[in-house]
Amino acid sequence: MRLFVATCGIILFSISGCSQERPSIGQASDAVELTYWPAPNAQEVQLADSLVRVWNRLHPEVRVRMQPIPVSQSTEEVLLAAIAGNTTPDVCSNIWPGALHDYTRAGGLIPFDRLADFDSIITSRVPRDLLETFRSTDGHYYQLPWKTNPVMMFYNERLFREVGVATPPRTYSEYYEAGGKVTRDIDGDGRIDVWMGERDIRPIWWQRLFDFFPFYIAASGGKTLFKNGEPSFNDADAVDVLGFFRECYGRGLFPRTFFQGGDPFLLEKKATNFSGPWEVAHIQKFAPHIKYGIAPLPVPDGHTGQVYTSGDFKNISIFANTKHPREAWEFVKFLVTAQHDLLLMEICDQVPVRSDLLNNPLFADYFRRKPVMVKFAEQAVYSRAVDSAPDLKEIFDAIAQEYEMCAIYGRKSPEQAVRDATDRAQFIVEWNK
Amino acid sequence: MKITLKYLVLVLGAAVFAYPFLWMIAGSLKPELEISNLGLLSENYTLHSYEQVVTKVPIGRAFLNSIIVSLATTASVVFFGSMVGYALAKLRFLGSKALYLLILFTMMIPFQITLIPQYILIVKLGWTDTYPALIAPTMMSAFGIVLFRQFFVSVPNALIDAARIDGCSEWGILFKLIWPLSRPVVITVGLLTFMSSWNEVLWPLMVVRERTLMTMPQIVTIFTIGGEAETQLGSLLAAATLLSLPVIIAYAFFQRYFIESMASTGLKG
Amino acid sequence: MRGRWRVIEAVRKSDRFGFLFSLPYVIFFLAFVAYPLIFSFVLIFHRWNIVTPMEWIGLKNFERLFHDPLFGKAITNTLTFLLIHIPLQIIIALLLALLLNSKVKMRGLFRAIYFLPVVVSGVAVTILWQQLYSYDYGVLNALLKAIGLPSVPWLVDASWAMPSVAIMATWKNVGIYIVLFLVGLQNIPAELYEAASLDGASRFRQFRHITIPMLNPTVIVVVVLSTIGGFSLFIEPYVLTGGGPMQSTLSGMLYIYNQAFYFGHMGYAATLGFVFALIILAVVLIQRRVIETEPT
Repeated sequence: MRLFVATCGIILFSISGCSQERPSIGQASDAVELTYWPAPNAQEVQLADSLVRVWNRLHPEVRVRMQPIPVSQSTEEVLLAAIAGNTTPDVCSNIWPGALHDYTRAGGLIPFDRLADFDSIITSRVPRDLLETFRSTDGHYYQLPWKTNPVMMFYNERLFREVGVATPPRTYSEYYEAGGKVTRDIDGDGRIDVWMGERDIRPIWWQRLFDFFPFYIAASGGKTLFKNGEPSFNDADAVDVLGFFRECYGRGLFPRTFFQGGDPFLLEKKATNFSGPWEVAHIQKFAPHIKYGIAPLPVPDGHTGQVYTSGDFKNISIFANTKHPREAWEFVKFLVTAQHDLLLMEICDQVPVRSDLLNNPLFADYFRRKPVMVKFAEQAVYSRAVDSAPDLKEIFDAIAQEYEMCAIYGRKSPEQAVRDATDRAQFIVEWNK
Repeated sequence: MKITLKYLVLVLGAAVFAYPFLWMIAGSLKPELEISNLGLLSENYTLHSYEQVVTKVPIGRAFLNSIIVSLATTASVVFFGSMVGYALAKLRFLGSKALYLLILFTMMIPFQITLIPQYILIVKLGWTDTYPALIAPTMMSAFGIVLFRQFFVSVPNALIDAARIDGCSEWGILFKLIWPLSRPVVITVGLLTFMSSWNEVLWPLMVVRERTLMTMPQIVTIFTIGGEAETQLGSLLAAATLLSLPVIIAYAFFQRYFIESMASTGLKG
Repeated sequence: MRGRWRVIEAVRKSDRFGFLFSLPYVIFFLAFVAYPLIFSFVLIFHRWNIVTPMEWIGLKNFERLFHDPLFGKAITNTLTFLLIHIPLQIIIALLLALLLNSKVKMRGLFRAIYFLPVVVSGVAVTILWQQLYSYDYGVLNALLKAIGLPSVPWLVDASWAMPSVAIMATWKNVGIYIVLFLVGLQNIPAELYEAASLDGASRFRQFRHITIPMLNPTVIVVVVLSTIGGFSLFIEPYVLTGGGPMQSTLSGMLYIYNQAFYFGHMGYAATLGFVFALIILAVVLIQRRVIETEPT
């Protein structure tokens, strides 16, 4: 089918080329070929495949070749190596904001704001305040926000109902109160059977993306850890967040040992879980009988206004090595049209970064069929990505260590822990200058 | 009275060193819930844990890789070690003393300093995820050379001279004359090299990412750390048992050689 | 003029096979010893993640080292390990070697059993002990409970974690030293003991003044090898605890590994390696000096 269309296209093109002036984009006889790298997971590859097929049908003169990233390595490693070795694709849609600093430092990406219609396209899609968070320290936009997975609180309705918790806790105090009721030893064997929550007690850096980081953004009303490339989280909000987790462990609401024997939320051994949309498919697959609700993250008592959270954003970038920046930009625009955002939701169950998700009639049917995604859609524009600071992994590693010492083992006060974490983050940023 | 006390301590010691292995093997064969029992016996022995391991990681392939790498390394260390040891012991040439001192110096360099640069060298050579990466950096051993040299020095020169007069080449002298006389040192160097190569895990973790190329201890490490075991204690114990089994079997037959190799080298320290 | 002649003469007289047989090692040395050593001296002044070009940063890596709390932690952790591991090993190895040295039946069997953990892979031993040490399900705590003692937080308490690693390492390696002490004991001439008995010296005095001094060289070997082993700890903390809790089992090697392969700081990792190598050399030298000058 593709071959037939391509052949027709070529014949038509060459006929038209013979009798008229050469077309303005490229040479008539040169077909432009773009390479596109989606994320390596099955759904996104499926989505990319569909989109690329449609594009190639509509644009025979600009062929897009889709190549999934090899699974054995992290995307960031592969992209950095490609930038260094001049083997980059033209477009990639698996850009993690935390690695942006590394990519731009190596001069690997082109600034979108140099493209004429970028501003109009992007502001109709993404709210200004969210877009600002993706601007690099040199003032340019090297990434286009594509999709996000906001972290929210899943809660087990039955476990709450059994002990008389009517609504999901909104503040820290409400959380402690609910936790006190839920966490108990049911069968009298001396071991607690239901916990309010549970976190991996090892100080692994990316685990903080599901506790400290989202809670900080919620507590601070949308502020992330860095400002203008410098750590800026030495404040009361960070202290409140660490204090919250410290209380949870201190009151025995979270287990202080390594949980063995499977996923506690699926086994209904824990009542709340801080996770994102991927959890929906997970629960559907392994424990579809669980009745759960989704709520925004708890915030410090006295917090007013919208509850923000962190989102696992993946963005789209065009690489500086591209020979066809304009065609690549056309393809990127193609990827983020409303119809294709709908496809993204249908195939991958992930949330595109659009302000009109809940108003646009195009998406209404999807949300009717999957009402649980409405909560994530509502939260999407109020979620924030990780900052693109150098050595972000190591900074989070330092935070994880302070979190371990303060929250899990209670050996440091939250104030001291936050101070030490920001000092270390500052040191790491300095070392990288 | 004293004698029974003596035997009591010795037997207690033996229990402390042997029982954990028995518990490990028993635990790998028991159903998950019974593993924390102290005893070895169970009514419900099962191979379920082994099934888990075998289906989740290519452990058979890893075993093969370990065999290939360890055999190649051992053959190389013994072959080249005996060559250089012979040269240093029996041949007179300019620089032999300096070379010997250099080799002694090499033994004193802590590996911490050369580890990262060696890794970078492997990357630059494009050898990541290949057998040469696992074999080349340890294919010669300064320690082995020293042991060979020490042993060869004691071979009577008269024997060698007689062979030379008979028209034997140096190659012939080394392999047809000296080697047959050197069983103890060849076994010592061979066994020690094989053992240390088999159990090596840090280096493979650094240079090999491809699962089908991983060595056996490496794949078991990945299995444990990587969460595929999904905290099933039985599979962890099964993986550990599979890893230890080849060595324990070899040890059961050849333990004298293992122990005596270690003892003879300890003297030199 | 004469010097050059001497060299040429020496080369002419040299056995060609000497050069030929040594050549493979020389090539190996240049590639895998000399080049890495020299390159490490270059790396420590750069910042590099392998992928993008190296960046010269002068002494910044060393500056970072001095301000690095984890570097200090790795050193104190290693010291904790050694302070438990070395005495424990010497006592147990010496005790069992003394018992085996006297007339006992099945000495070979006992020796073989004690040596078994030495040959088994460290990974297998670590996995096994991880289960033995488990707080809720482990055999050790079950044993303690059986005799009425409270459970010990072996791997989950920052004060117990490194000692637990030290105990496991002792269990694994003491077989080597039992064998070495046995050899050492058997090398002590019987006449020394006979002469001392004739002089009326008690068994204890004989032990103190003959056995211990004669075993000095073996003790040095135990101490030096254990020290080098202690500074090279990697797979044990890596599998057992991942360096925790609260970095109490972070070893030098584990830290280097994380810096190089987790965070991509090749230059800093090389600097850490360099400094640790210096520390090891210094410590070993001091130990040899101290033990060798003990009064005999």
